[in-house]
Amino acid sequence: MIKVKKISKSFKDTLVLHGMSFEIEKGEFVAVMGPSGSGKSTLLYSISGMDSLSDGKVLFEGINISEMPEAELSEFRLTKMGFVFQNAQMLKNLTVFDNITLPGLVAKKESADTIKKRAAELMKRMEITGIEERDIREVSGGQLQRASICRAMINNPDILFLDEPTGALNSGATDQVLAILEDLNRDGMTIMTITHNPHVAAQARKVIYIRDGQVASSKEFQTGVDREKELNDWLRGFQPKAANEECTH
Amino acid sequence: MKLLLNLVRKDFMKNKVITTALAVFLIISALFMAGGLRVAGTMISSLNGLNELAMPTEYLQMHTGTYDEDAFEHFVETRDYIKASLIVDMLNISNANIIFQNETFEKYLMDNGFVVQNEKFDFLLNMDNEIAVVQDGEIGVPVYYAEELGIQVGDTITLHQGSYSKNLTVSTIIRDSAMNPALTSSKRFLISQADLDELSLNIGEWEYLFEFLLEDGTSTAVLEKDYLDAGMPSNGVALTGNALTMLNALSYGVVAFIIIAISIILIMIAVLCLSYIIRATMAEENYTIGEMKAIGFPGKAIEKLYQIKYLMLVLVAAVIGYLAAIPFGNFFSSSVVMYCGHGTSQWMQWIFPLIGVILLSLIVIHRCRRIIHKDLKSTVVQLIRGEERIKKEGHYSLPSAGLKHRNLTIALGELKCKWKEYVVIALIFVVSSFLILLPMNMKNTIENPSFMTYMGVGESDIRIDVKYSDKLAGQKDASLSYLENDPEIERYAIYRNGYVQFQNADEDWEYLRVENGDGSVFPLEYLEGVAPDDSKTIALSYLVASEFGKEVGDSLTVKYQGEELIFFISGIYQDITYGGKTAKAAIDFAEEDVEVYIIYVDVSDGVAIEEKTDELRSILTDSKITPISEFVSQTLGGIMDNLRLVEGAAIVISLLLIMLITVMFLQLITAREQSAIAIKKAIGFTIRDIRIQFGIRILMIQCVAIIIGTVLANTLGEVIFGLMLSSMGASKITMIVEPATAYLLYPAAQLLVVFITVIVGTKVVKNYHIRNQIVE
Repeated sequence: MIKVKKISKSFKDTLVLHGMSFEIEKGEFVAVMGPSGSGKSTLLYSISGMDSLSDGKVLFEGINISEMPEAELSEFRLTKMGFVFQNAQMLKNLTVFDNITLPGLVAKKESADTIKKRAAELMKRMEITGIEERDIREVSGGQLQRASICRAMINNPDILFLDEPTGALNSGATDQVLAILEDLNRDGMTIMTITHNPHVAAQARKVIYIRDGQVASSKEFQTGVDREKELNDWLRGFQPKAANEECTH
Repeated sequence: MKLLLNLVRKDFMKNKVITTALAVFLIISALFMAGGLRVAGTMISSLNGLNELAMPTEYLQMHTGTYDEDAFEHFVETRDYIKASLIVDMLNISNANIIFQNETFEKYLMDNGFVVQNEKFDFLLNMDNEIAVVQDGEIGVPVYYAEELGIQVGDTITLHQGSYSKNLTVSTIIRDSAMNPALTSSKRFLISQADLDELSLNIGEWEYLFEFLLEDGTSTAVLEKDYLDAGMPSNGVALTGNALTMLNALSYGVVAFIIIAISIILIMIAVLCLSYIIRATMAEENYTIGEMKAIGFPGKAIEKLYQIKYLMLVLVAAVIGYLAAIPFGNFFSSSVVMYCGHGTSQWMQWIFPLIGVILLSLIVIHRCRRIIHKDLKSTVVQLIRGEERIKKEGHYSLPSAGLKHRNLTIALGELKCKWKEYVVIALIFVVSSFLILLPMNMKNTIENPSFMTYMGVGESDIRIDVKYSDKLAGQKDASLSYLENDPEIERYAIYRNGYVQFQNADEDWEYLRVENGDGSVFPLEYLEGVAPDDSKTIALSYLVASEFGKEVGDSLTVKYQGEELIFFISGIYQDITYGGKTAKAAIDFAEEDVEVYIIYVDVSDGVAIEEKTDELRSILTDSKITPISEFVSQTLGGIMDNLRLVEGAAIVISLLLIMLITVMFLQLITAREQSAIAIKKAIGFTIRDIRIQFGIRILMIQCVAIIIGTVLANTLGEVIFGLMLSSMGASKITMIVEPATAYLLYPAAQLLVVFITVIVGTKVVKNYHIRNQIVE
């Protein structure tokens, strides 16, 4: 579905992504991990077309989105991609419900009634009914993040991009969000999430570990294994030796 | 201190656009404040200087015809409050007989008198403010004509009547403390005694000016009453020193007044902007302030930190404004300097603006301190969480039918939630629209033919003054007979003007100019009541009625040729001619008492007024023929020119103002809304969409502001204009608006300026990215 081909991204003189390549298949759940400053978020924004590339290209279902004009890319993002951010970024002057329906109403692919019906269904599925008319400052972080997922799903996107979706949530809310993501993926939604939390990454079937703007390694989990344990074992291999020894002692 | 300066430097680098725009605002405010006060200082110094050196008369009575010189001398000798007196013999020469560069002075309304230098007081000064001296064959020309016609020393003025002709060489330009301004209707030329004697044998009519200086503390009213009671020569206009000073102040003070008025508006705007910017900046800084407070940074130190930037900004603005006000003020006071000289108190032009900028700085600093102090009162937790700000905004609802016009809907919705943030910019848009329209509407009103109704007569095209002749009646008859037989004349009416005495509230007798003629030919709109319709009724001008507390229905005792006549006041009208003090009544003036016959003429459709004026001038050579438009502009003297100047300046300032405020506002608002911008971009709004939304919000606010500004210019503007003209005799002005310019062209120009500024100012939207909103 997405082919990332030798992409590079630099800010002024700093090279953040360095000739990175990988693929995401349709229906796949991919987690991208790596230490702070490794370029995880930059990778997400570059793949989704929110940031321009310094080099390389991203093919989305065969279409090179790296060279798309800004307006076309916005439309593409609106209809084909859904986004969830760490801090449940929502517009402060809209109610929870209007925040969810906004991308659907802007896309105008379906009638307003259809959009609203879907929003209601999504809210029910995310178990956040009853907060529709509330101001976004009047709901909990977990509710807001689930509302963000509803917004991301409103246009039936082909892929869901998540940037540290549970970074600002407590463990209870994190589990609720993860359950939803697993559920969505089970229904065929392609998901790519950025996370530094192995518990979150363990929901994915494929984990890409990046370091210094390059893919250091990737791992696909087999079904029926304890993914979290296997992932932690795998991750231990990326930790600096001294730190490893320190941990052992 | 070094640390503070370093912080200021860093802050400037971070907020270059806002700081620069704010600095420009403050500089313009300081410039206008200092400039206006410099003009005022120069004006006061100039007028005082002229008054000191020229020793103007404190009371002046004009008179034509014979008088008893012995009786006058006896009158002066028996009044110990009279310090000095003199009789000026002034030879009035018709404008048609005065020629400069092959053109007569006919297009000027001024009455021109030729005099010799006075010996005791009321001196005519040269351009060095010394008592002017001219030799035989030389002439001193009033500065008014030097300005209007560009007459220079060395030029020749020809006086010509019939076969007589005399050339005089301009040897000096004259400053005249009594008749300097364009608003006074007479001008004096200085010639030698020998030339005056020669001229009087061939040309002109004598008029006499009886002038007085009074002992300190004596009121001119005492002299005036005494003078009239004693039956001294007095069939012309009487003027007091105060009235002359007021005419001067009105002529030269208008510019200073307007500049200071604009500066006050600008200062208000600058303070509003500053308050807004400080609040906005402080809101962005809340987290940092909270942190500083949390680690125990003293409140005073934090205050100082945030004040220093604005303190430096205002000091820089004050210095630049003060310095820039020197050429600015000089430009606007060039007229008063030309007419009156630099004067003797030149320190005023340096000290007044200095006080102004100091005052401005204090206002701004005080405002800064208050806002910052108030802002710092919040608790650490409030500051760090930014609670106060979050609470303030509500939310809007998306329409249930969907988003037909997504950018419009979202822009209006956000505007509904954030309207408080737009109050300042809206106010500035209102003020700028008002500033553009008011002078323009004033100018249009004055230029409109209907302005004539404020000059005591209905609308007409041409005015003919029949004056200056022993054969006044013959001249008048000749004029009437010509007009009667000219098919290009649609209608005309003749009015006899003379003076009567009337009894004021204190039962003292005063002179009043009365016009007698058929008021129905050029009907006049009365403020109250109606035109006099019989020999028992009189109409008074607004100034006479208000000054003497007369109302419609009151009685008024009038004395003419020793006979007391009782009139009832039938109406009150507006009139700015003859100092605003006139009346209309059917007084049967004897031929010798008629000061002037004024004939108002309407030409037939399709006849060019200018051509008809030229034709009449060539035929009725002894009369003064003036198109009404010219009459209005000359009666209002420099006010028209000033208005043109102000109109141009107001447009430039207003457009600059709205451009600056839009740039500043966009910088602030986009920075404040960077999170919303980033979210919108992330969920699929294009950069163009977001820029359009900002544009709609600002242009929507501007449209409403323009409407309010326009309404205010038409309503409040009328009141302001009325106040300006009420001292001249017109209190109730109906503003004439040029719809195409006022309702289309200027609003479009303002919208265009803001539109272009929005295009440039919203480019910053590109820079805001969702990644900056994520706290890792």
